[in-house]
Amino acid sequence: MSDKRYWKSLEELDARAEQAESAERVSPLEEPIGRRGFLLASGFTLASGVLGGCSRSPVEKAIPYLDQPDGIVPGRAAWYATTCGGCTARCGVLAKSRDGRPIKLEGNPDHGFSAGGLCAVGQASLVELYDSQRLGAPRLQGREATWDEVDREVRHSIEGVVTSGGRVRLLSDTVTSLTEQRWIRRFLGQFPDGRHVVYDPLSSSAILDAHLATHGHRLLPRYKLDRAEVIVSFGADFLGTWISPVELTAAYRRGRDLEGESPHLSYHAQLEGRMSLTGSNADSRVVVDPGDVGPVLSQLVGKVADRAGAELAGFGAVSASAVEEGVLDDLADRLWRARGQALVVSGSESVREQVLVNYLNELVGAYGATLDVERPSYQRQGDDRRLAGLVKEIQDGDVDLLLIRGVNPVYDMPTPELAEALEAVPTVISFSGSLDETSTRADVVCPEPHFLEAWGDSEAVAGVVSITQPVIRPLGRTRALAASLSAWLGEPASALDLIQDCWRDEVFPRAAIGAFQTFWDRTVHDGSARVTAIPTEVGPFDRSMVRSLSGGAEPDNYTLELYPKVGMLDGRHAHNPWLQELPDPVTKVVWDNYACLSPRTAKHLDVGQNDVVLLELPDGAALELPVYVQPGQHDRVVAVALGYGRAGTDRFGTVAPKWLEGKPTVVPGATVGTNAASLASLEGRRRRYVRSGLRVTPTGATYDLATTQIYHYLSVPEKLAPADGKDRPIIQETILPEFLEDRSAGKPHMHHFDSDLWGEHEFETHHWAMAVDLSACTGCSACIVSCQAENNVPVVGKDEVKRRREMHWIRIDRYYRGDEHSPDTVHQPMMCHHCDNAPCETVCPVTATLHSSEGLNMQVYNRCVGTRYCANNCPFKVRRFNWFNYAHDDKLQNLALNPDVVVRERGVMEKCSFCVQRIQEAKHTATSQGREVADGDIQTACQQSCPAQAIVFGDLKDPESRISKMRQDPRHYLVLEELNLRPSVGYMRLVRNRPTPASTPLAEGEEGSHHG
Amino acid sequence: MDRAAWPLREPLIAGDKTPGQVTIDVSRPLEGKATPLWWAAFLVSLVTLGVGIAAVTYQIRVGIGTWGLNRTIGWSFDITNFVFWVGIGHAGTLISAILFLLRQKWRTSVNRAAEAMTLFAVMCAGIFPIIHMGRPWLAFWVLPYPNFRGPLWVNFRSPLLWDVFAISTYFIISAIFWYVGLIPDLATLRDRFKTGVQQRLYSFFSLGWNGSLSVWNRYETVYLILAAALATPLVLSVHSIVSFDFATSVVPGWHTTVFPPYFVAGAIFSGMSMVVTLMIIARKTMRLEDYLTHRHFDIMTKLILATSWMVAIAYATEFFIALYSGNEYERFAFLNRAMGPMAWSYWIMVSCNILVPQIFWFRRFRRTLPVVFVATIFINIGMWFERFVIITTSLHRDFLPSSWASYAPTKIELATFAGSFGLFFTCFLLFCRFLPVIAMAEIKGVLGSHLRPQTVPIVDEVALEATAARSATAELEEVAIPGPGAVSLDLSPEETST
Repeated sequence: MSDKRYWKSLEELDARAEQAESAERVSPLEEPIGRRGFLLASGFTLASGVLGGCSRSPVEKAIPYLDQPDGIVPGRAAWYATTCGGCTARCGVLAKSRDGRPIKLEGNPDHGFSAGGLCAVGQASLVELYDSQRLGAPRLQGREATWDEVDREVRHSIEGVVTSGGRVRLLSDTVTSLTEQRWIRRFLGQFPDGRHVVYDPLSSSAILDAHLATHGHRLLPRYKLDRAEVIVSFGADFLGTWISPVELTAAYRRGRDLEGESPHLSYHAQLEGRMSLTGSNADSRVVVDPGDVGPVLSQLVGKVADRAGAELAGFGAVSASAVEEGVLDDLADRLWRARGQALVVSGSESVREQVLVNYLNELVGAYGATLDVERPSYQRQGDDRRLAGLVKEIQDGDVDLLLIRGVNPVYDMPTPELAEALEAVPTVISFSGSLDETSTRADVVCPEPHFLEAWGDSEAVAGVVSITQPVIRPLGRTRALAASLSAWLGEPASALDLIQDCWRDEVFPRAAIGAFQTFWDRTVHDGSARVTAIPTEVGPFDRSMVRSLSGGAEPDNYTLELYPKVGMLDGRHAHNPWLQELPDPVTKVVWDNYACLSPRTAKHLDVGQNDVVLLELPDGAALELPVYVQPGQHDRVVAVALGYGRAGTDRFGTVAPKWLEGKPTVVPGATVGTNAASLASLEGRRRRYVRSGLRVTPTGATYDLATTQIYHYLSVPEKLAPADGKDRPIIQETILPEFLEDRSAGKPHMHHFDSDLWGEHEFETHHWAMAVDLSACTGCSACIVSCQAENNVPVVGKDEVKRRREMHWIRIDRYYRGDEHSPDTVHQPMMCHHCDNAPCETVCPVTATLHSSEGLNMQVYNRCVGTRYCANNCPFKVRRFNWFNYAHDDKLQNLALNPDVVVRERGVMEKCSFCVQRIQEAKHTATSQGREVADGDIQTACQQSCPAQAIVFGDLKDPESRISKMRQDPRHYLVLEELNLRPSVGYMRLVRNRPTPASTPLAEGEEGSHHG
Repeated sequence: MDRAAWPLREPLIAGDKTPGQVTIDVSRPLEGKATPLWWAAFLVSLVTLGVGIAAVTYQIRVGIGTWGLNRTIGWSFDITNFVFWVGIGHAGTLISAILFLLRQKWRTSVNRAAEAMTLFAVMCAGIFPIIHMGRPWLAFWVLPYPNFRGPLWVNFRSPLLWDVFAISTYFIISAIFWYVGLIPDLATLRDRFKTGVQQRLYSFFSLGWNGSLSVWNRYETVYLILAAALATPLVLSVHSIVSFDFATSVVPGWHTTVFPPYFVAGAIFSGMSMVVTLMIIARKTMRLEDYLTHRHFDIMTKLILATSWMVAIAYATEFFIALYSGNEYERFAFLNRAMGPMAWSYWIMVSCNILVPQIFWFRRFRRTLPVVFVATIFINIGMWFERFVIITTSLHRDFLPSSWASYAPTKIELATFAGSFGLFFTCFLLFCRFLPVIAMAEIKGVLGSHLRPQTVPIVDEVALEATAARSATAELEEVAIPGPGAVSLDLSPEETST
C-alpha cells in the first residue's frame, strides 16, 4: 500500500491534521513520567486491577458441534413420546430433551389412558436418571464386572440348575411389558421347575382374587370413574396412590365438570380410617376403622340387595354398625338410584371384602358400565399367595436360582429372616439399577437402565400398547431385562430388536394397520397405540362366595394402617430428593414418616406432634415413631406411611446448607424416616397392611418433624377471633344445589372499589392470567414437582424446611374446616399472583421486581440485592429467598437443570414467573410461523402436569380465550380482592356435592404450642 | 447582685464554677491517663464489637440464612435493631436543635454527649440495612449514581430508598452540627495541649479558631442555620420516613397512618432514655456531678414521661382503629399481638414503655439517679421490643394462615446485635477519652444564668494564658465568652419569671 493519501475536501485535510496532532498528544506515558503521567498510570493500574477482580466466575466457552447431528438444533428442545417407569401404572409421557439430555417429563395428551397429566412421582423420576449412585456396570460377587464375565457366570449356573432340575424363581413387580413377559416365559421355560412370582409391594392381589371368585378370571377391572354418578370408596386412595392415580384422577375430574351449560358433579363418598388424599376430596367422608369395613360392607350389601330385591341370606342380621345410623341407608339409596352409573371401590386387602364389593357392583350394575372386566387393567398383577409360597421356599432353602427384578423384598417384606435366607440361595441375580437392600445380597447384579435411556414396551391396560424409547445414551453399562434373558438363552440381541420381534408377532396382528413399519413408526412417534384387546373370558357373576362378614375391630386396641404416601409409594423412590422434599398432600410433612393419631387419641395418650410413641403389635413387631396429629382420622386408627427408612438415604444428610446452627437432614448411618414394613404381615398367605391389636405407648422422647404448613384452618384461633370471626374468605365454597340455582353462590359479601388512585395498567399485546379450579384440584402435588423440574427449584433439606424456608414456587395450601374430628378439607394451589397493582414492585429499592408489558410480575435476579421487603409485602407469601447457595455440586444431577432458567445465586429473591421461558418460546414459535399466539399454545409447567386439569393459563387480551371466559364466570373469584391488588391468578369456587351446607365452623384451639 | 444571693432558680451548674474551672474540669479526663475503669469498659466494648464483626463476617460469607428469618418473616432482628438505633439517635438532634431553638439552657450540659451518641447510634443503625441484604456487596446499588446499566435506576417509590436518603442526610447533618459545635472547644484543647499528635489534631480541626468577636459572630450564625434550617426538620423527618417502611406496606399491623408521629415520639422517648442512661454513667465515672445536676435529670425524665404518654396514646389509637375499622385482618393482627403466641413481647413493650415511666410523676424518683438509671434501661428494652412487636408479630401471621410461621433469633443474630452495642460503646468511650463530653464554650454561657441577668466579668485565665502564649500581640482584655446559649442571655423567660 502506498503511503500517499488523497484528500477530497478541505475538511478532510483538516481532520487528518487534527488526528495526527491528537495522536501526538496521547500517550503521555512515553514522556518522562511526570505527576500527571504517574497519576494516570497508577489510576489506570488500580482501576484495571479492581475491575479484574470483579469478575465472579471464570468464562467457560461452549464448543459447537463439528458435525451437526440430524434433528438437533443446539438450544432447541426435542420432545420424545415414551412411557413412564415411575410405577406400574405406565402413563404416557413426553420427554423434553435439550442438547441430548432429558430435562423434563410431561404427560402425553395423546396417550391411551393417562390423558396428558403426570403425577409427582412421574415428574420426579427424571432426576433419578442422573442419580450418581446408580450402578454403571454389572456386579459379580460384590465387585464390578463386564457383561461377558457376568453372562459366563450366569450361564454356568443356569446349566447347573437345568441339569440338576432345581427350582428357578423370578420375583418381579408387575410386568406390563409384552417383550419382557415373552422372554420371561422363554427363560423360565428352559427349566423343569421355573416360575414367575409377581409381587406388588402395594398389592391389589385381593381385587384380582375376588374377581377370580366372582368372575372366574383373576383380573383387575378398569375403573371408569368418569362414567360414575355415585362413587363409594372404601379406603381406596385412587386420587393419590391406588393403581393408576393419573388415569383415575383424570376420569374423576371428567365426572365433575362445572363449566359449560350443564354442570354435573358426581357424588363421592369415602369411608376410611385415616385421612387420605382421596378422602380429603370426598363430598361425604365417613370415618370407619378399617377393621370394621367387613361388617359395614355387609350391611351396605344387605341394604342395596333389599332395594334390588335380591334374595340374600345372612345380611340383614349384621348390626352394631361402626357407622352412624342413616349413613348406609343414604349410600344404598344413592347407589341404587344411580344404578348403571354407580361404582364401589375398595383398597381392602381382604378377598372376602373385595368379593362383597364386587357383589355390590354387580347389584348396582357397575360391570360393563363403570367397571370394565373385558378390557381389564394389567397395572397390578401381584399374587400374594404365590409370594407367600416363594418366601417359604426361600426360607426352606428350596430355591436354586432366584432372579429379582423391580422389587426390594429385603426392605419391604415383613420377614426379617428373608435377608439371611437369601444368602443361602445358591445363585441370586438382581436386576436392580442400584445397590439396595436386596441387590447388595445378590451374587450377580445386572443393572437395568433407567427408562429414559432404554427401549421398552408396555400394555398396561388391555388394548393400549405403548413404547418406551431412549432419550439419552445410557450413562452406564446397563442392559435391559429382556436383553439379559435373551443373552442367557444364547440368543443375544438388543432390546430394540427384541421388542420389534415381539411386536411383529404379538402386537401388530392386533393392530388394524397396513405395514409393521408404519405401525411401529407411528407408535414410537405417538408413544402409544390402541389395538384390539386380547379377549378376557369372564364368566357370569358367581354369588357363591358372597358371605356376610361380622366381627370387626376390637374396641380396646388400636388398628394399625400402613399406607403408601404420595411421592414415596412403596419406597422405590426414596433416593429421589424431589420426592423426599415434596410435602405430603395432607399432612404437609417432608423428609419423614410418622404415626398419625386422631386429635382425640393424641389427647387421650397425652401426646402432641413430635412426641415419639412406641407402636407394638401382638406378634412382637414394634417401632418408635413421632406423632402427627391428623384431624379427621378415626380415633382407633394409627396410620404409618410405608416407603421410608431405605438404606443409604443418609446420603441426604448433607443436602441442606452447612452452617453453625444447621442440622443434617439425616445423621450419617441413619435413614430418612423409619421402615414400617416390619409392622406388615404375610400371615394367611396375604400381605396385610392393616393390623389389629396395636398398642401405643408414649416414650417421652421427641423427634422434630418438618412441615411446610403449621396452621391448618381458615379461621383464626378462637381466642384471637373478633366477635364476628368467620373463616377468612380465601377459600370460597358452596354446595351443588345452591350452585345450580345461582352460579355465584358462595360469594361472600364484600365492599366494592369503584375508584382507584392509580390508573389501570395498559397491556397492548398480551395480559397473561391463570385460573385454578378448586373443584377440580385434588391436591395431588404433581404441579409442585413439575414446577421444581421446570424452574430449577433447589432442594433445601429437612432442617431448612423446618425453618420454613422451602423453595417451591407453587405450593398447595391445605385447610381444614369445621370440627377437627370430621373436617372438610380444601386444597388451594398458591403461586405468584402477578398482581397488576403488585405490592412487591413498589417497595424494591433497586427495581429488581417490576411489571412487564404483558402483565407479568418479573424478578430480575441480577439486580436483586436481597432486602426481602417484597416478600414481606406479598400478601400471598409466595416469594422465596435464597438464604444460602443451595447445593448444586452434584455435577451429574445438574444435568437435569433447565438451561432456559437461571440457577439463582444466594441472596436473591425468586418466585413463580408464569414459566416466562415457555411464554417466550411460544411467542417465538408463533412469530416464526407468521401467526399470533393461539389460546392453548402456552402451558405452564404446573398446568401441563395437572392430571385434573385444574389450572388454566392464557391471555386476557384475547376475549375468546378460555381464561377470559373463566374470568367472566360467576364462579370465579380473587383471593384478597379487597386489597385491590388486581391479581392475575383467580380461583373457581369449590362446589361440594352435598344436600346441605357444611357444619358451621369451628371448634379449634390455639395452635400456639406448635409455634415453638 | 451578689453571686451568693439566693438563686431564683436552682443553678444549672453547681459548685459556683468559674469559666476557668469549667475548662479544667471538662478537660481533665482528656489530659490524664485513662482510668482502669475506662480501660475495662473499653476492653469489654472492643471484645463485644469483635464478636459482632466475627458474626457479620460469618453471615456475609455463608449467607443470610444464618439468621432466623424465613419465607414468612423477612425482617426481624435486623430491622428491629435498625429502627431501634435510629430511634436512639434522635435525642441528639432534638437536644441540639429543637431545644436550642426553644432556648432550653439545660441542654448545654448534655448536648455534646447526646450529639455524639446520635452519630454513633446512626452508625450502628446504618450497618443493619446494609448487612440485612442478601447480597450486601451490592449495597451501593441503592444509590442513584450514573451507571451503564441501561434504564436501571433506583426505585423512588420504595420507602427503603427514602430511608437511604433520610439516614444519610441525617448522619451528615448531625456530624456537621456536632463538629461545628466542637470547634471552640477544640481550640481550647489545642491551647491546653502543648505538644504531641493530639495537639496537632486539635489544632487542625479547630480550623484556626482565635476567639475573636467576628469568629464568634459567624460561628453563631452557622450554628443557628444548622439548627433551625437543617437539623430541626430532620428530627421530625427521619423517623417519619423510617416509619414509612411499614406504613406504606399492605401488611396488617404495618399499614397504619399513625406511624410517623408515633415513631417520632417513640424515637424521642428512647433517645432521651439513652441520653439519661449514658449521662448517669458519665456523671459518675468522670466526676461531672456539678455539670449534670439533679435538675437536668428532672427535666429529662419529665420529657420522657411526656413522650411515654404520646407512645401510649399511639398504642391505644392503633388498637382502637384496628377494632373500629371492621377489617378482619387488621383486627386479628392486633389481637394476635396482644394475645397470640408472641404476646410476651407485646406485654414487655407495654410494661416497659407505659408502666415504668409513670414513676416519673414523682419528683423524688426523678431525682433518685439509681431509679432513673434502671427505669431508662427498661424503657430502652421496651422500645426495642416495640419495634420487634411491630415488625415480627405483624409478619408472622398475616393474610394466609397457611404461611403463618414463627421466629427465633440465631446465635449469629444475637452476636450481631451485641456487636452493635460494642461498636456504639467503643466509639462513645473513645469520644469520652479524646473529646470534651461537655460543651465547655456553651456551659460558660450559662454559668450563673440562674442569677439576674447581668454582664458577668469573666476571665478565662487559662484560655487567655494560652492565647497570650500563642500570640505576642494579644491584648489582655475583659473577654466575654458568649456560648451559643448566651444569645438568649437577656431574654430567657425561664430566667425572668419567678
